[in-house]
Amino acid sequence: MIELKNISLKYGEKEILKNISLTIQDNTIKAILGPSGVGKSTILKLMLGLIKPNSGKVLIDGTDITHMKESELYAIRRKMGMVFQGNALFDSLSISQNLGFFLRENLKLPQEEISQRVAEQIQFAGLEGYEDQLPESLSGGMRRRVAIGRALIFKPHMILFDEPTAGLDPVSSKKILSLISSLRNHNNLGAVIVTHIIDDVFNVADSVAVLYQGEIIFDDVTEKLHESQHTFIRSILSDKILEL
Amino acid sequence: MPLILIRSLEKRLNLQLKDFFLTMQEFFLFSLRTFMAIPKTIRYWRDVLDQATICGTDSIPIVLVSSISIGALLAIEVGNLLEDFGAKTMLGRSTALSVIRELGPLLMGLMLSARFGSRNGAELGAMQISEQIDALRAFGTDPIAKLVMPRLVAALIMFLPLTALSDFAGLQSAAYMAEHYHRIDPGIFWNAVYPRLAPKDFVVGFLKAPVFAVIITLVSSFNGFSARGGTAGVGRATIKGIVVSSGLVLIANFYVSKIVLENM
Repeated sequence: MIELKNISLKYGEKEILKNISLTIQDNTIKAILGPSGVGKSTILKLMLGLIKPNSGKVLIDGTDITHMKESELYAIRRKMGMVFQGNALFDSLSISQNLGFFLRENLKLPQEEISQRVAEQIQFAGLEGYEDQLPESLSGGMRRRVAIGRALIFKPHMILFDEPTAGLDPVSSKKILSLISSLRNHNNLGAVIVTHIIDDVFNVADSVAVLYQGEIIFDDVTEKLHESQHTFIRSILSDKILEL
Repeated sequence: MPLILIRSLEKRLNLQLKDFFLTMQEFFLFSLRTFMAIPKTIRYWRDVLDQATICGTDSIPIVLVSSISIGALLAIEVGNLLEDFGAKTMLGRSTALSVIRELGPLLMGLMLSARFGSRNGAELGAMQISEQIDALRAFGTDPIAKLVMPRLVAALIMFLPLTALSDFAGLQSAAYMAEHYHRIDPGIFWNAVYPRLAPKDFVVGFLKAPVFAVIITLVSSFNGFSARGGTAGVGRATIKGIVVSSGLVLIANFYVSKIVLENM
């Protein structure tokens, strides 16, 4: 379980997050919805301890990671997988090397187990035949699937998606969303999805938090979003994609 | 009006000073974390070998070209000067001192600042803006131990033989020009080189190699890690890394010579 308690964050004079609190239960998919540049990706980085808040607490499975040292955080981070917006694949490594990279680096697993886990992810992501290709030779949707495979290979409890369908064509977006849904159905994983596309929220999320001007203005099950009377939520429900 | 201008200048100066000291603090912590990661060398030995190839073996041609051309030029110019005083036989001694103490290590440092430093800045900067460094941290790998420490260890190991190679090539080209341009017998040239070189001459020259290795690697890597603002940001970080490390190499060259020669 991930808990953010009264988090505030400033970049210079700009207040990005104003006293926000969020809870993400295990085995559920939570979406964080909001316009571009509002601090959604920052929330994911806070959950991983990649940045520190000015005030408030970040708890992972009850452990306060807010003031942990970088070396102490590595073990906590391995409980979570992260899919970056730009995928953040290592461009000089092949697809199978990208998938196995962190297993080799961080877990002292035998080579057979690494190969087996890589093969499982290749199959899960539907990338058979592309094992030895470099990321640059793949389409955007395929690269995103490799990034998801890399996040899953650790067998994390929670997976964090930063704009999982941004920049993808409708067919690739649909594949990625179905892949995310299948995680809940088959692997009992929890997930946090940061997005500005409201259809993604209705397609995969159990609950949604709406971030607007640094504050959480809605946090409930997805179906209740339609009942909200907040003017911003009313406007995004009619526009579907937030381009503010 | 002048009061407003003075206050505005004062505010800008304060901000710049604050930025400078914050950057220095970050650089100090970055350097400290890199040195503290050195015990992990065995774990990252493959990365150290890769970097040793890049900064060592692959740098041999540029180091040879620069040291051969400067050695030859030095022999011609110094030989002409000594001829005016009828002391051409001293050419071996004067070129050996210049090459071993100063020009060999300095040229090697400047060439590697451009070659190895620019590669570090561009590669790490590109990794920073494409979130690959964040990905390393997010999946539990220390990016400084994985990316910077192997560069530092490789540079510390490889800069010494590169300095020796630079000295050797510079002296050989000087000897060649002494024989073919100034018509000095090679025996006379080399006789003026070896018996007269003191240990302190080698200490001055070879002490510079690890100093330059630390400066070039840490400055260029720090700038790569600090890259922001897309591809233009990578360009800015790379240039800053080369300019600052080259400047520091020149300053360090002066102080190492001064301190060693005054104390030995």
